[in-house]
Amino acid sequence: MTSEEEMIIQTPDYEDNSYEEEEKEKSEKSDKEIIRFQNLSYTYSSKTTALKGISLSINQGEFVFIVGESGSGKSTLIRTLLGELKPTEGDIIVEGANLKNIGRKEMPYYRRRLGVVFQEFKLLEDRNVYENVEIAQRVIGVKKDKRIENCNEMIKLVGLSDQSKKKVRELSGGEQQRVAIARAMVNKPSILLADEPTGNLDPNNSWEIMGLLQNLNEMGTTVVVVTHNDNLVNSMQKRVITLQTGEIIGDKLGGYIQ
Amino acid sequence: MSNFFYGIGQGIKGMFQNKMFSFAAIGTVTACLFIFGVFFSVILNFRAIVYKAESQVGITVFFEENLAQADIEHIGVLIKQMKGVDSVKYVSPEEAWENFKKDKFENDEDLIETFGDENPLKDSASYVVKISDMKQEPTISKDIEALEGVRKVNSIEAVAGSINNFNLLVAYVSITLIVLLILVSVFLISSTVAMGISVRKEEIAIMKLIGATDRFVRFPFIVEGVLIGIIGAAIPVGLLYIFYGSASDYIAKQFPSISKWFDMVDSVSVFSVVIPASALLGIGIGLLGSAHSVRRHLKV
Ligand SMILES: Nc1ncnc2c1ncn2[C@@H]1O[C@H](COP(=O)(O)OP(=O)(O)O)[C@@H](O)[C@H]1O
Ligand SMILES: [Mg+2]
Repeated sequence: MTSEEEMIIQTPDYEDNSYEEEEKEKSEKSDKEIIRFQNLSYTYSSKTTALKGISLSINQGEFVFIVGESGSGKSTLIRTLLGELKPTEGDIIVEGANLKNIGRKEMPYYRRRLGVVFQEFKLLEDRNVYENVEIAQRVIGVKKDKRIENCNEMIKLVGLSDQSKKKVRELSGGEQQRVAIARAMVNKPSILLADEPTGNLDPNNSWEIMGLLQNLNEMGTTVVVVTHNDNLVNSMQKRVITLQTGEIIGDKLGGYIQ
Repeated sequence: MSNFFYGIGQGIKGMFQNKMFSFAAIGTVTACLFIFGVFFSVILNFRAIVYKAESQVGITVFFEENLAQADIEHIGVLIKQMKGVDSVKYVSPEEAWENFKKDKFENDEDLIETFGDENPLKDSASYVVKISDMKQEPTISKDIEALEGVRKVNSIEAVAGSINNFNLLVAYVSITLIVLLILVSVFLISSTVAMGISVRKEEIAIMKLIGATDRFVRFPFIVEGVLIGIIGAAIPVGLLYIFYGSASDYIAKQFPSISKWFDMVDSVSVFSVVIPASALLGIGIGLLGSAHSVRRHLKV
């Protein structure tokens, strides 16, 4: 019992008003820095250095594409940002706090500020669509009524209302990707990281998902999208950061750099 | 609150996902706590027998040869004055001989006749001293023995001692078995939980990445262990309850002489201890096993 009470105390309140106020605040685009990589390097083993001296700053409310060929270090960058991988060198500063100083105990609370669409989805295969979205809300301790409302809304948004009770492993790649997106967005995180969120989608669906991400961004969420999709990148006219063998070789508005 | 029940639900699910291991673990806890329950009821009943025996037997005091009747009476007065002495009863040599004939010879006329009219116990006048508090028995025996004119005091230590020794033996054997079984139980629960953790490794990693606390991730596994402990405690308590009732009936039927003299300790006295103790042990074993595994395998 007591452990449960503590659990509730530790989880931030998830009340509607506080949340809307936050959104209002977020929607004022600002020059306030939200993420900064400082001379970040990551080495998997003595052989593969996936990131080399990355320095990069992302402002609150920005929409950023990260592009680069396979193996250039895009996913590794996301994983270090999530605290899954510890930088071999350098620092990551999120909302003013250095990740180095976030201890084991605080890490879950840090992660709740980020919504992540993983490249490999990372869904709970033996549970249904609803449960997969719901787990994100359970983890942060959202009350049942609110949870049902939020989850159903998000599942509808990604167009899976009819498949809500279907087990994830029975879904197609594209459908699984939508579940992953719904889960990443359901908690309305201040930062959304999406690692190839359209990798398994046909062009139509890809545009739909991009539209979703853009809506979210317009509501104030900082969005970082890793992608291969040149068409999307070129037509959306956002900031594009290009990686090559673990280094930034381009950072400009509008399109691909060769 | 909803996360609490969610954790319980996940724990139950985990237990069923892992049937073989859970079953083995529950079986061991059951065996362990069944032995505990049996041991406890046996000890409790023997202790009751000892008390009953002690309070009925009393100390027998014999006098030096040819001691004058007045001196004997004086000794009686002195004993009566001692603290903790309940009653003092004089047994004359004639009574002693009558009792002996009845008890030992079962009034076998032929055998008794060989003694003729002579009372072989003519120097066997005695006092039977009953004591209110058995704990004071050794002191009182010593004090009586020190009195002038007292030849010998037959204390009841011997009877009580042998029963106590038997109790001690039962206790040692049971405790050894219980400790061994507790170790095996903890090990089995720990393995069961470890199995569950390894099966759900990926799920755990995912939940951590989306911001689950250690507590959120660990709680279902703790529930799983404790649940095994609780089930493993409930089964033996239930079995023992049935057995204990039938044991009372069986003894009453098969050994009427015992049951005439001694009633088994009532089940309320036994189970008011056995139930909470088993529950505590079961939960403790479950917690220990799952905590051990969670600590070792859930460094998430
Ligand atoms: N778990 C891993 N262990 C070792 N090397 C890895 C691992 N994951 C990725 N790498 C290597 O790190 C480099 C960057 O990988 P990654 O960040 O996944 O690239 P991208 O997402 O841009 O395709 C690649 O050379 C890849 O082979
Ligand atoms: Mg990748």
